[in-house]
Amino acid sequence: MLVLLLIALIGACLLPLAARYIGKGAGLLMALLPFGLLAGFVGLAPIVERGWVRGEGYSWAPAMGLDFTLRLDGFSFLFCLLITGIGGLVMIYSGGYLSDKGRGERSRFFTLILLFMTAMLGTVLADNLLVMIMFWEATSILSFLIIGFEHKSSRSRRAANMALQITAAGGLALVAATLMIGHVIGTYSMAEAVLRADEIGAHPLAPAIVIAIMLAAFTKSAQFPFHFWLPNAMQAPTPASAFLHSATMVKLGIYLLARFEPVIAETSWGRATLVAVACITMAMAAIQALRAESFKAALAYSTVASLGILVMLVGLDGPRATVAMIGFLFAHALYKAALFFCAGSVLHATGKGVLRSLGGLWRPLPLTAAACLGASLSMAGIPPFLGFVSKEFLFEAQLASSWELVPLTIAVLVNAVMVGVAGVITLRPFFLKPREKVEVHHGETFSLVAPPLLLALLGLTLSLNPDWITRVALRPAVAAVYGQAVEVQLSVWHGLTPMLALSAVVVSIGLLIIRFWRNIHLMLRNRVRMEQYSIENVWEYSVRSLVRFSIRMTKRIEHGDLRGYLIAMILGVTGFCIWAMATSGGALRFPVNDTPLRLPEILLMLLGLGGAFVAARSSNVLSSMLGVGLTGFTIAITFMLNGAPDLALTQFAVEALVVVLLTAMLLGVPLVCVRTRSDKEHQVDGLIALGFGLTAFIAQVDMAAGREASSVSEWIGQMSLVAGYGYNVVNVILVDFRGFDTMGEVSVIAMAALLGTSLLASRKSTRAENEAERGVHYSFSVASAVLFWMLIIASLIILYRGHNLPGGGFVGGLTAALAFAVLSLARGTRAAEAYLRVSPPVLVGAGLLLTVGAGIPGMLKGNGSAFLTQLWWEPGGFLPKLGTTMIFDFGVYLVVLGAVVTFLFGLQKEGAR
Amino acid sequence: MTVFYAFCASCIMGFAIYMLLSRNLVRTLLGLSLLSTGANLALFAAGGFGSDLPPIIAQGAEALGVSADPLVQALILTAIVIGFALTIVLASITLRIWRATGSLDARDVTLPDQKNLADMERSVE
Repeated sequence: MLVLLLIALIGACLLPLAARYIGKGAGLLMALLPFGLLAGFVGLAPIVERGWVRGEGYSWAPAMGLDFTLRLDGFSFLFCLLITGIGGLVMIYSGGYLSDKGRGERSRFFTLILLFMTAMLGTVLADNLLVMIMFWEATSILSFLIIGFEHKSSRSRRAANMALQITAAGGLALVAATLMIGHVIGTYSMAEAVLRADEIGAHPLAPAIVIAIMLAAFTKSAQFPFHFWLPNAMQAPTPASAFLHSATMVKLGIYLLARFEPVIAETSWGRATLVAVACITMAMAAIQALRAESFKAALAYSTVASLGILVMLVGLDGPRATVAMIGFLFAHALYKAALFFCAGSVLHATGKGVLRSLGGLWRPLPLTAAACLGASLSMAGIPPFLGFVSKEFLFEAQLASSWELVPLTIAVLVNAVMVGVAGVITLRPFFLKPREKVEVHHGETFSLVAPPLLLALLGLTLSLNPDWITRVALRPAVAAVYGQAVEVQLSVWHGLTPMLALSAVVVSIGLLIIRFWRNIHLMLRNRVRMEQYSIENVWEYSVRSLVRFSIRMTKRIEHGDLRGYLIAMILGVTGFCIWAMATSGGALRFPVNDTPLRLPEILLMLLGLGGAFVAARSSNVLSSMLGVGLTGFTIAITFMLNGAPDLALTQFAVEALVVVLLTAMLLGVPLVCVRTRSDKEHQVDGLIALGFGLTAFIAQVDMAAGREASSVSEWIGQMSLVAGYGYNVVNVILVDFRGFDTMGEVSVIAMAALLGTSLLASRKSTRAENEAERGVHYSFSVASAVLFWMLIIASLIILYRGHNLPGGGFVGGLTAALAFAVLSLARGTRAAEAYLRVSPPVLVGAGLLLTVGAGIPGMLKGNGSAFLTQLWWEPGGFLPKLGTTMIFDFGVYLVVLGAVVTFLFGLQKEGAR
Repeated sequence: MTVFYAFCASCIMGFAIYMLLSRNLVRTLLGLSLLSTGANLALFAAGGFGSDLPPIIAQGAEALGVSADPLVQALILTAIVIGFALTIVLASITLRIWRATGSLDARDVTLPDQKNLADMERSVE
């Protein structure tokens, strides 16, 4: 089975490609795939016939209970026959129907239909419910694409959207049902779930499970109140309608209900709900079928009514109901597909779909008329057609079941309407005189005639000679659904039974409907309110309101004011902080033996706070920048005083660069701030800042009180020289112990540089003479070259000695960037660029390559070392110890240099423009 | 000392938040730069002020003696550089916004999303 499924999938992807090169007969070629699959399934018939079940399973994600298990029993088998058999005919028919379309369009249609067929097969074959959901959702999505095939028409798009919204919502219900079932019985196997239906029924979740299953089935099978998507889906090309609405898509809901019938029956109200919903659906659909104007719409509503009958049959108890359900499902698939084909042919040949304006088509389309007649007789349940047999079953099941008269009455009336509709759609277009002449564009072709004719003939021959199909498909299907073998006897003549009498009643009423169709039809059409207050409109209105609501919400949340976003974020962080402190339990602590206060540092920090205060209060951004810089420098000195020379170096270099870079930017923008906040907002912001600061302070004090000596720091301190061959522990952490982290950070800087190159697109010469005119003091200009080289040499020394003394790639790169900053300030950006020779992004790329490359030799050493395991080599003699960390650190150096220089040059050019 | 530094870091972050909330993009980016400075100081204070000796192993010694916490320093070192990168990226974006819109007010920057939203609203009506 998996093989067949795979063939279907691969064939669906590849075969339609051939249709791009074949004109006529492409449909016949495409039909080879479904028919081949049909043959494959018929080959499995002996298994099914004996009532055996064939299972295949592959472990997929066992931890999630997701196994790719397939299961073929009688019911699945019947579906497979219908899907592939009718699928093949649909392919042939589409070849003729789409002959006026472009080859690409046609090929797309074939692909969609074949994929849809594959998804259908997967759904009915899957045993694992999670796998079934995947295929089930695939049918929803593919039907969306098929219904919206004419995507340039807004009506198609609307219909496709509606079908997707409804069926996908039902799909979600199925997911919910599956998860609940998995929760209750601990497995996702459908067979298991059905076997243990009583267990599920006894669980408190049972009502929820049953409701969710019903929702999934009702949406898919177009039951009230979700029925309206189906008539709209007639926007699809007719061959697609024939496939989707006869044998496949809409029958999935029935499939699901029939499978889970034992579970539904466990609840006291399950069957009653099914019958009630089915009755409403049937009654409503019958009226709409008489009201429908077009051929296809009439068929669509009759399909809804038929689905109602099927749901009712699932709801009824007793073996006869199952027999009737299987029989009707089979008969309906055959005649409904044929009728859709006929409707398509009429539409194709005349370009008209409205029944009232058609007539007399038996002359130009004789074979189509014959097929339509045969299929209609089956639909009307006239002996000796298959439809008659299935209708006998239906009445038998109703009389045998324990139900009252109401469903029976409705069933009789609905069947009478079916007779009427069948009569009208045959007589009106084909045999009655047209009111005005109907133009026929073309006659019949093989592709357009063979499929409906074949199906109509099948409806006749199978009822006259039912042995094979009963033995192979119907009896096993009934057994699979009912759970035990049931006698199924398809015969036209049952003798004089109550069922025959009911049939006679049905046909008589049906004949009356045919006689007075025009009057009934026009009377119903004048009831405009039926459209105004239809559920369809309610649905559309609610979908529109939903969109409107979400737009309003989005506008409120994504209002476009940066300040609002930031306030939300800051309050969120503060809130979480307070929440964490409040829930951690215990009072806030205060450090008991804190280190004593040192006056010089206090004075220094007060200076830094002053800088921050100025930055916050000043209305001139230049003084703000200086304030921020002042704070940065005091922090750098603080680092220095507290045993962090590496940090001090880095901070100094960064602060110097910030000043150079931001000044370059500030040259381009106004320095005095325009008022952007009202007084009230100023106060609010002040309060928020105060709250945040206070929270941060309390949190830090509490954290400091609970501080313990870090075992990680201690371990690193011990291992640094032994394992990392470096005296400077900070640097060893960066390049060795946490090398992978550093690589990540370097990549972030590289990405920033990339962003810089695209943001500050290198503008061609920003008026070179302008730069020359800038008043740079002569001494600075001369000294700059010396300064440049001194800084470059210093940066290299810092880089080299970093492993043992304060320094390293980050500081080195920043220092080298400073050298270029000095140069560009003194001699202009172009001169500095000329000194660099290569473009900055090249440096970034080379640096990134080095950092990654440094990690590879360690990996190749072969004793299972991970990426970025650093290696060391001691050549002896004068030569110092060499290690891959040096390559790594040099990479860091280059990335930092390249990135900063990218922005330096970019901002200087952009700012001077 | 720790409490004092915690106080200073909180003050700096508070001032930074106040700047950040300004709708002037230059002030916002300066505020962000200040915020990262304050956060670094807070992180540094979390390492404690046990010793003012740098975490460098003395010549001849095998392991690190008494010194400042090296781990915190390694974290802060990269944080300084990343914060710097963030500042200059923002500076570039701000400059481009100024060139494109002639305004530094964050409210004048309309996102494409909001235009889409307006289009969508029209289509629903």
